[in-house]
Amino acid sequence: MSTSRTLILDRIRTATANAAPQDYAALPRTYLRKGTLDAEQRLALMIERLHEYGAEVAVCEPAQLPAVIAEQLAASGRHRFAVPPGLPQDWLPSGYDFQQDTGLSADALEQCEGVVTQSFAGVADSGTIVLHHSAAEGRRVLSLLPDWHLCILRTTQIVETLPEYFALCQQQPELATYISGPSATADIEMTRIKGVHGPRFLNVILVRDENPAEARSESFTTH
Amino acid sequence: MSNVILDPRVAPPFPTAALPILRNAQLRKNVAHATGVIQSKRAKLVAEKTDWQDLRTAASAIRTHVLQNLGPYLEQFEARCTAAGGVVHWAADAAEARSIVLDILRQEQASEVIKIKTMTSAEIQLNPALEAAGIHAIETDLAELILQLGEDEPSHIVVPALHVNRSQVREIFARRMGIPDLSDDPQALTAAARAYLRQKFLSVPTAISGANFLVAETGSVAIVESEGNGRMCLTLPRTLITIAGIEKVLPRFQDLEVLLQLLARSATGERMSPYTSLWTGVTPGDGPQRFHIILLDNGRTSILGKKTEQQTLKCIRCAACQNACPVYLQTGGHAYGSVYGGPIGAILTPQLMQMEHAQSLPYASSLCGACYEVCPVKINIPEVLIDLRAKVVDRERAETDRLLDPMYLGMRIANNLFSSAGRFRAAQRLGRIALRAFTGKDGWIHALPGMGSRWTMTRDLRGLPSQTFREWWETRRKEGQ
Amino acid sequence: MVQTMRTSLFITCYNDTLFPETGRAVVRLLERLGVALDFHPEQTCCGQMHANTGFRGEAFCQAKRFVRLYKDAESVVIPSSSCVAMIREQYPGLFEELGNEQLRRDFHDLLPRIHELSEFLIDRLGVEDVGAYFPHRVTYHASCHGLRGLHVGDRPFRLLAKVRGLELVPLDNLERCCGFGGTFSIKNAEVSSAMLAGKVHDVLSTRAEYATALDNSCLMHIGGALHRQFTGVRTVHLAQILASTEDSPAEEIA
Repeated sequence: MSTSRTLILDRIRTATANAAPQDYAALPRTYLRKGTLDAEQRLALMIERLHEYGAEVAVCEPAQLPAVIAEQLAASGRHRFAVPPGLPQDWLPSGYDFQQDTGLSADALEQCEGVVTQSFAGVADSGTIVLHHSAAEGRRVLSLLPDWHLCILRTTQIVETLPEYFALCQQQPELATYISGPSATADIEMTRIKGVHGPRFLNVILVRDENPAEARSESFTTH
Repeated sequence: MSNVILDPRVAPPFPTAALPILRNAQLRKNVAHATGVIQSKRAKLVAEKTDWQDLRTAASAIRTHVLQNLGPYLEQFEARCTAAGGVVHWAADAAEARSIVLDILRQEQASEVIKIKTMTSAEIQLNPALEAAGIHAIETDLAELILQLGEDEPSHIVVPALHVNRSQVREIFARRMGIPDLSDDPQALTAAARAYLRQKFLSVPTAISGANFLVAETGSVAIVESEGNGRMCLTLPRTLITIAGIEKVLPRFQDLEVLLQLLARSATGERMSPYTSLWTGVTPGDGPQRFHIILLDNGRTSILGKKTEQQTLKCIRCAACQNACPVYLQTGGHAYGSVYGGPIGAILTPQLMQMEHAQSLPYASSLCGACYEVCPVKINIPEVLIDLRAKVVDRERAETDRLLDPMYLGMRIANNLFSSAGRFRAAQRLGRIALRAFTGKDGWIHALPGMGSRWTMTRDLRGLPSQTFREWWETRRKEGQ
Repeated sequence: MVQTMRTSLFITCYNDTLFPETGRAVVRLLERLGVALDFHPEQTCCGQMHANTGFRGEAFCQAKRFVRLYKDAESVVIPSSSCVAMIREQYPGLFEELGNEQLRRDFHDLLPRIHELSEFLIDRLGVEDVGAYFPHRVTYHASCHGLRGLHVGDRPFRLLAKVRGLELVPLDNLERCCGFGGTFSIKNAEVSSAMLAGKVHDVLSTRAEYATALDNSCLMHIGGALHRQFTGVRTVHLAQILASTEDSPAEEIA
C-alpha cells in the first residue's frame, strides 16, 4: 500500500512539476453568491419548488406548530413514528406510538411508518432541505427507512441560493444530507417514479419564526 | 443475453462495434428518447440560471487548480480522512484496487456486498473479480440492477440502462425475480426492485461505493444520487468501501456550492438530485463504523502531465456530453467498448489505456463541438480529440506497413500538393480527368472505388467542374486587363 | 455605399476545386458592395484536413504558408466557417508548439483581420441588405463550426431575412451536426450516414427547395444524400443566394 502511495504521489509530482498553479484565492468566483428575493418571495419560491417535487407543504406560526404536526400526523393515517432524541417532546400529540431513536435497530426503524425531524437549512432555489444530523435532525438512517418524512423547517433557516447555505456553515458539517424531493428514479424510459428506496412521502412544515407579523403585512402592501 | 464487450483491450474498433447498433431500431429509439428528455430538461434549467457561464468558469478553474496541486490536496484529504477514522488506500492500477477490495472483504468474511452505482468499479472490472472470489455483488441502483439481472452492460454514465425499455425491463425482472405476472408499468417495475432489494439493504453488512467528490479540507466524501439506494449503502452496513479516482478531490467544502449547482442540472436536468450525502471518516453511532477509501490512479497520472489532455481529468461524470453528442445519439454507449462512452469516453478511454488500445475512439467524433458547449467544467473535448488523433498518427506512421495505407498515402500526397500552388493546380487538372471516368451523364459521381466508396455508399458527389476558381479568376483578370 | 477597402479572398482548397461558383459569387457580391478584391494565386489550403485527422506536421506546413501569404493583407474574407475556425482555434496552438516567435507575432496581428463571409458583411461592412433577390423557399443549416466555433449567431438569418423573394423555413434540430466531420465521413461512414439520414429528414420536412449554409463541406454532404435520394432539393452556399439579383440569378449548381 505504502509503495503505491509513494509511486502515485511521485508520478503526480513529476506530472505537475512544470505547472504554474493559480492561487486558490484568485480563482474566479463571479457566480451569484447572494439571492435577490425578500423573505416573502424566498418563502414563496421554497414552497413552489417543494410542490414541484411533489412534497406537501404547510406553513404556520411558531405557536401553531404542535397543532399542525398533529394535523399532519392524523392526515397521514399512520400510527408509529420514529423521532430523533433532540426533537422537543411537547411538540408531539398524544395518541401515537413515538419511538425515540436512541440507537434503534434497522429492523425497529423499519417498523416505523413515519419519522418527524427538524432540519438545518432550506435552499429555496432548488427546494432543498439540509440535514446536518444534529440531535434534533436525527441519524442519517432515521430519515431514510420510514416511508413518510415530516420535516420541520424554520423560515429564517431558508436561504435563496446554494452559496448562501455554504456561507451559513461556519463550521463544515461532518455529516450532511441534502434532500431535494422524495426518493425518485427515471431509469426506466426517463419516466419519473417517486419513491424507490428512500421515503416516498416528504411533508414539510415551514414555521414562520421571523416575526413580527406586522412587518410581513407591510411587505405585502408594498408589493 | 449481451455480447457487448466493454473492455478496451479486446473490444472491436468503434466503426465495427457501431454497425450492429445502427441496425437496432429499438435500441436507437430508446437512446434517442432518453437523451432527448434529459437534454430538454437540462436546457430549460440552464436557461433559467443567469450565472450559468460564471459557474462553468468557476468550476473549470477549481478543477484545473486541483489538478495542478493534486499531490498536496490528496495528502490533505488522506490526513483528514484518517484523522476522522477512515482508512485510506492507494491503488496504482486496476489489479491493485481489486485486490485491496478483496482483502477487505475477506477480512470482513463477506459473502455478499451491496453496491452503489460506481463508474470506477466498472472501470476496474470489479464485479467479475468479486464473483471469482465467491462474493456476490448486488447492484442497488435501479439501472445497474436491470443490467446485472439482464446480464447486460452499461451504455451511459448517468443512466446506464437507457438503452433498455420498459418491456425489456419487465421481461428481465419477471424472469429473474420470479414474478411472472409483473406489469410493464415503470411504477410497478420500480416497486419490484424496491421489494427485491429491501432485505438486502437491511441484512448485508458490507457496501461498495464510488464518490462524486472528495473534500481535501475536511476529508469528507460526497455522493449524489436519486433513489436512496446510495443512502442505504452509506448508512446501514457495518463496513463501507469507497473507490474514487484520484482526480475527484476538491480543495474546500465550499467548492461544492459551485459543483453541486452544475452537476444535477447537467446530468439529469434537475436543480439538485434528490439526495446528496456527505460523510467524514467514521461517525460514532451513525453509519458504517469501518470506512475504507481507495484512491485509484489506473492511468490518471499519465494524463496529468500533458498540457492539452490534462483537462480530461476535470470531468465530473455528468454525461451531458453524451446526451448532446450526435454520434452517441446513433450508437449509444456500447459501441465505445468501454464503460465510458460518448465524447468523454472517446478521450478518456484511450488515455487510461495509455494509447495502447482504443485508438479508434478519438476518431469517433465529427468534432461538432456540442460536447464542449454543454460541459459544466469546460473540457474542450474536440481539442483533446484532435490532439489524441495526432498521437495515434505519430504512433502509426512509425509502422512500415502504413506506407501504403491509403489514408496515410493520401495525406502525404495532399500535403505535398498543398505546399505548392503549381502542384495543386496540376493535381486539380489531373483529378478532373481521372474523375471523368466515374462521372455519370448527369454530371454526378455515384460510385467511387477504394476509400472513395466509403463516401459514395450513401452520398453522391458532384463531378468536378470544368473550371476551378483560380482558373476563372485568372481568365477574368486577363480579360479585364 | 460602403467604403472601399482592399480585401483578400481565401478560397479554400475544396471550394476552389469543387465549388468554384461559391468563390465567383463572393466576388460578384463583394464587388457589388464596393469592395476591391485580391486573390493570391499561391494560396491552397488552411490545413484543417490534416490537423483534424492527426497529421499535425502537415498542418504546420499549411498554417505557416497561410500566414506568410496573408500577413500583409488589409483584411481576409473566407466563405467557409470551418476554415476560419481552424485558423482561430487551432493555429494559436500550432504556432505555440512550433515556438517561432516571428510567426506567432505575424499571426497575432493578422487574426483580427480574418473574417468569415457573414461576419465580414455584417461586422466589417455593416450591411444586412445586400440587395439580393432569390425567389425560393430556403432552409438554413447551421454548420457546427459557424455555430459553436465562430458563434456567428443570427448573422446568416439577418442576411437571409433581407433577401427579396426568399421564404426562410426554420430547420428542426438546427444545432445538430450533419455528420460530415471531414475524414469522419470516411472513417466512420456508417455512423456519419446515420447522422446524415436524420439531417436529410429534417431538411425534407421543411419542404424547402434549397438548403443553404456557410460551408460547402456540410452542403456537399447533405446535398450528396439529397441527390442520391432524388429528393429534388438542392444545396447552395449562402454567398450564392446573396449574390443573386433580379438581373443575374444565382448560378445553378446542380
